[in-house]
Amino acid sequence: MRFAVQIRNLSKTYVQGFIKKKKKKALEKIDLDVPEKTIYGILGPNGAGKTTLLSIIAGILLPDKGSVKIFGVDVHNSVRAKEVYEKINISSGHANFLWSMTVKENLSYYAMLYGMSKKEREHRIEELMELFSITSYKDVKFEELSTGTKQRLSLAKAFLNNPYLVLLDEPTVGLDPDVAIGIREVIKHFHKKKNITFIITTHNMDEAEMLCDEVMFIFGGNIKAKGDPKSLKKEMKLGDKIHIEFQDTDTAPPTALHINGLIDMSIYHDHISVVVDDHSLRLAELITELTKHGLKIKRIEIEEADLEDVFINFAR
Amino acid sequence: MFLSTLRDEFIKANAFVFKNWIMAKRNIFGIFEIAFWPLISFLSVGLLSDFVNLSSSMKGFILIGVVAMNAIQVCQLDMAYVLLYDIWSKSLKHSFVAPIGIRHILIGSMIIGIIRGGAVFFILAFLSQIVFHFNIVALNLTATSFFLSGLFLNAAIIGMLVSILVLLVGYKAEVAAWSVVSIMFLICGIYYPISILPDWAQLIAKALPLTYFLEYYRSFYGFKPFCSSVLLKGYLLLFIYLVLEIYLMQAALIRAKKNGMLLKLSE
Repeated sequence: MRFAVQIRNLSKTYVQGFIKKKKKKALEKIDLDVPEKTIYGILGPNGAGKTTLLSIIAGILLPDKGSVKIFGVDVHNSVRAKEVYEKINISSGHANFLWSMTVKENLSYYAMLYGMSKKEREHRIEELMELFSITSYKDVKFEELSTGTKQRLSLAKAFLNNPYLVLLDEPTVGLDPDVAIGIREVIKHFHKKKNITFIITTHNMDEAEMLCDEVMFIFGGNIKAKGDPKSLKKEMKLGDKIHIEFQDTDTAPPTALHINGLIDMSIYHDHISVVVDDHSLRLAELITELTKHGLKIKRIEIEEADLEDVFINFAR
Repeated sequence: MFLSTLRDEFIKANAFVFKNWIMAKRNIFGIFEIAFWPLISFLSVGLLSDFVNLSSSMKGFILIGVVAMNAIQVCQLDMAYVLLYDIWSKSLKHSFVAPIGIRHILIGSMIIGIIRGGAVFFILAFLSQIVFHFNIVALNLTATSFFLSGLFLNAAIIGMLVSILVLLVGYKAEVAAWSVVSIMFLICGIYYPISILPDWAQLIAKALPLTYFLEYYRSFYGFKPFCSSVLLKGYLLLFIYLVLEIYLMQAALIRAKKNGMLLKLSE
């Protein structure tokens, strides 16, 4: 497997103050492997170290310890680092750009920073403005744009240099749901069509679940868990909840159930709630077991565990 | 390969010309910087010289200083603004995520600084001729070219110093964009020869290249420089400061990446 980003033993502590020095540990012994062409989510609460990690990958923050390899190049010790940064870009939530410049001028400025010729950048800017639906705002100054349009501009800027790796720091934070959905669609489009590797930080667990092939949970600068969302849920034994309501409340439910993958069980006179590792594998077995006891089922409700449950579990 | 690299270098430096140009033309203060304040200071000093009945050579001494001061001020502001615009808009990290070097920032901001500072110089030189009948440029064009190059390189060392301070201490340093240059003007002999300064201040003045360029240009108007080879000494000092500041700016950028200042200035 080829990796877009490989991080080993990465630590970062912020030191503030000249005389009385205050130290704040931001990251501690982080190891991370981001496979090429995946969407990788970095999840965690505020102050967990997500932005610090993303900034180190982007090269705008230097770590105290550890190595960062991007597409196989050790970016802190190789003369090829410049080549690597030509093919990386970043977009942040709460987008900020030069206030007096229009959408097109801002994009032109950043395209020039990547050495794009006038012809190249004009073509690319038109294409991206179209894709992010900001063409009608091309002559509007940044300070006059709505939050959603600013965010779309920020994302368009992140694709200017035809990057192989895009870092998205809270890409949909503070946006209306419809705008957020649109942005997720564009991310998916780029991922599918251009095979770009994405690293996304987010608070939004639904977003992570929807977009990410793999995720990492980070708390207080430490990695708590990483893997694909499904195996994480399994690993944490969060499982899926199945609520079954009975038709005939005169028949007593069994006091115990013997099915595979059972994690937890609560039995009441008119319904039961069980937690199993995977509802799609266990539901048939559960129904058979209950019907064996002469119970007639009125209603079945399935509640799949999501990343939010994983998050809450870590936050506790 | 070479041509492609050269083209790449040119485009990246041009990005900063583009940014400063757009930001300056959309900003009312930018117009004030280039037209209003230089004009006010030039006319005030010129009229004061008339009022106190200064001889034409003394008036010329002062007018050369005022024109130089305004050209440097405008040019150095462009050098300082190149980072300050990004800091004020909280977008600094986006510029530094791109694979650019200090050289692109310096060359780009210097080009726009020379354009704006040069405009100020020639507008004031023209007014000097019209209003005060004192010719600043036509006396010796080669000397004027050397003088102007000295002024712009002096502006570069001030602008770079401001940028270094901004990268080291953040927002607190933005006041340096206006104050560093004023201190330099006080010491380098804008309105008076440095011989009237206390000994310790004269020593500082002699360590600053601007002093030598003012002495050089005024020598064409009959004022004897305080030492020989003033032009050579001025360029030598400029070279030393520029090399030192390029090194310091690179060090300040690495420090800002280490202590998170670059990120802090983007939040």
